[in-house]
Amino acid sequence: METLFLFIATVAALLSVVATYLAIRARDMLSAVIFSAVQSTAYAIMFYIFMAPDIVLVYIPVSVGVLPAVTILLIKRTERYER
Amino acid sequence: MSDPTSLMFTTIFICLTVNIGMSLYGIFVRPSLVKKFIALTIFSDTLNCFAIALGFRRVVGSYPSIAVLAALPESPEQLSQLASTAVDPLPQALVLTAVVIGLAVYMFLAGLILMYYRYYKTTHVEVARGGRVG
Repeated sequence: METLFLFIATVAALLSVVATYLAIRARDMLSAVIFSAVQSTAYAIMFYIFMAPDIVLVYIPVSVGVLPAVTILLIKRTERYER
Repeated sequence: MSDPTSLMFTTIFICLTVNIGMSLYGIFVRPSLVKKFIALTIFSDTLNCFAIALGFRRVVGSYPSIAVLAALPESPEQLSQLASTAVDPLPQALVLTAVVIGLAVYMFLAGLILMYYRYYKTTHVEVARGGRVG
């Protein structure tokens, strides 16, 4: 059972690596924000498996909800594509 | 290393280290301030996840349930069982504080980036040093 949970955490860590790579490499800021939210979701899964459900309760509204919303507002006010 | 559990933990720590490296690349090399902002959030989240992973303790048998004190007043046996099976709560408290304070810092940085754009008409960092965009 615990091996299954740790396997889920490992898959989440690998997913976060892929999402971080795509977020850093993307020229379009909007897709970078979306990949950053995917990476935050993978970290939330890892927090839950590492027995920190209180962190998950704070981390999901902050890092999947508020921060992409603020960043999307910032991109809308400034420029979308990186030069 | 032949144990699959230690292999999984090694994979998780290597993934977190690779994330730290890639987000530092994004902070230092990428010219756009918004991309630096996104990379800074990823870097902060990775360090938080590192702290939580360092405070984790694997207890064989009682994995899906979280160790709590269910009875009041508690007996010394229950207290010793809790202390021997619970994870370290200090990194969790620090990370909880860091997430909330980080949100305020990111709001401030977003306001600064917006002011930069209104002054220089771009989010490229070289413009402030008199350089050329491109």
